[in-house]
Amino acid sequence: MYCVNCGVKLSDNQTKCPLCGTVVYHPEIKREEQPPMYPKNKMPPKGSEAKALSGIVVILFLLPLAICFFADFLTNKEVTWFGYAAGAIGVAYVIFGLPFWFKKPNPMILVPCNFIATALYLMYVNEATGGKWFMSFAFPVIGGICFITCTFVTLLYYLRRGRLYVIGGSFIATGGMMLLVEFLLSITFQIAFVGWSVYPLVILVLFGVLLLYLAANRTARQAIERRLFF
Amino acid sequence: MAKNNKKSLHWVRLDNAAKIYPAARRRNWSNIYRLSATLSEMVDKEVMQNALNVTVKRFPTIAACLKKGAFWYYLQQVETAPNIQEEYSYPLVHMSKKEMKKCALRVIVHENRVAVEFFHSLTDGTGGLVFLKNLIVEYLEQKYHVVIPLGNGIVDRTASPISEELEDSFPKYAGAVPVSRKDTNAWQLYGEPLADGFLQVTCFQLSVEETLALAHAYKVTATVFLGAVMMKALLSLQNEKNPHVASQERIKLSIPVNLRQLFPSCTLRNFSMYTIPEIDPRLGDYTFEEICRVIVHKLGAENTAKYMSRVIATNVNDEKNLLVRLIPLPIKNLVMKAIFNRVGERKSCLSFSNMGKVTVPTEMEPYVTRFDFVLGVPATAPYHCGLLSFGDTFYINFIRNIKEPELERHFFGVLKEMGLSAMVESNQREESGCIV
Repeated sequence: MYCVNCGVKLSDNQTKCPLCGTVVYHPEIKREEQPPMYPKNKMPPKGSEAKALSGIVVILFLLPLAICFFADFLTNKEVTWFGYAAGAIGVAYVIFGLPFWFKKPNPMILVPCNFIATALYLMYVNEATGGKWFMSFAFPVIGGICFITCTFVTLLYYLRRGRLYVIGGSFIATGGMMLLVEFLLSITFQIAFVGWSVYPLVILVLFGVLLLYLAANRTARQAIERRLFF
Repeated sequence: MAKNNKKSLHWVRLDNAAKIYPAARRRNWSNIYRLSATLSEMVDKEVMQNALNVTVKRFPTIAACLKKGAFWYYLQQVETAPNIQEEYSYPLVHMSKKEMKKCALRVIVHENRVAVEFFHSLTDGTGGLVFLKNLIVEYLEQKYHVVIPLGNGIVDRTASPISEELEDSFPKYAGAVPVSRKDTNAWQLYGEPLADGFLQVTCFQLSVEETLALAHAYKVTATVFLGAVMMKALLSLQNEKNPHVASQERIKLSIPVNLRQLFPSCTLRNFSMYTIPEIDPRLGDYTFEEICRVIVHKLGAENTAKYMSRVIATNVNDEKNLLVRLIPLPIKNLVMKAIFNRVGERKSCLSFSNMGKVTVPTEMEPYVTRFDFVLGVPATAPYHCGLLSFGDTFYINFIRNIKEPELERHFFGVLKEMGLSAMVESNQREESGCIV
């Protein structure tokens, strides 16, 4: 029995060609009954190791949570600063504990989750302290960093080549972000716009441009590699 | 009484090559491989269990469990033989830490086939094949009352193991001068992962006579010939995926070398190393003859006792370092894992392991129809390939954890160009993605 598409000889237990997926169809040829190579649809039970590990991580985070609660409650007889601690532990759990629940953690989902958790925590702190800085400062800054990081991670994850371009571009974007931070600081906290952000901007842009140049110029890249290898 | 029994159990330190495998384990991956034999009749599970009970006692370092010491892992002989297990829809199902603590070896019976899956710290392919052959001989003797003569890997299962079989041969044959480990990275295959940890095995069957005739026409051995076919397939696959030649990466094949052929060792523990022939597609097109030459010269230069003694020395020197020895196991594991992840599997596209010609005594021939050698997939790459020949057939088993059977298609394409016919079978599921 041969595959009509790719021409490979097929064992009698095959219902379609393992190389090209063509369904076996030779009505005039009699096939000998042969058992499949491996039993059909008999999957092993799913292991519990991953679940056990994520359970341990949850306990590791619950422990300081409980300690903070009792420390706050016993010293102040009411809940005062526990909310801040709980929020911070929650954010830490989202960043470090959440990946353990996934077999193959996807950074494109987890990275935005980290920023959302951080933004929510800052919003809580803003509300709890009666501050007026969240919407005008923290939210746009977090949003900007989130946008740059997500783009960076997504491009690195999917692109097999041209990573130097991505890293160089991220440096330049981060430089631009510095200007935004200073501008938002000045309008939120009424601090004079003195232009300190120009210094990191210049350094980051220069470095970013250097990386872009190296990405585009193979000879220069090799010269740098030759001098800096370790 | 049970405690006394435990104390008298045989234990050994892991050999030099075995040390990396427990550290390199992951939540869903461990380095295991399978050797199987297909018998002419349905396997009687009860008799096979009895045969296993006898065989495990003769091979205390193979029928062993993996235990933790303060500074190193060690192997301890199992108290009782593991139970015969049933086959799942795919081979080499992940072996968990818990399972390895009980026994780092599985015996699986399915219809006419008996398969043994070994954690690589126990032994290499040669040791594994000796275990499998003896298990089958014991089974045949119990089931059919045939007498199979000793020799050709068959030993007296009632005797005690000899000390040479249990030794770690690496330190014994380490050379005076180590060799540099520096090596370039290879092109890595990639694809869409199969769901639920499913592993797809595709077995090519080739005629030994036809293959050897063609290999001899190129004045090379079967390993070199089939290795060249594989490299040619990898070349054309990379060309298909990335036609931009200037940015193509090196094609490298990891070919394990059985060190017992170079040194007078009869150990049943790990005693193999590997050679990595490489071709660089950026240098232009390679003819099949050129690829054969690359492999022949690489094997010729490195497959020698002197060169291999240098490679062994490099690994053994690390193990002898007092600082390395005194670091507690958990920290050592972290460091070894980091090194393995950084360099371990990036130096070759895949492993192409040829067990060579498997022979059995004449008295055994009517009962055994086939042998197979299936490597587990690597931790970070999707493919491995194990092959052996038995009778007049080469059994070439590809294993992969991705949907696309691209490498197999290209491999068959090269075989077809050479004028070789092949029969193929697979454990494919209905939903496995194939590109027509």
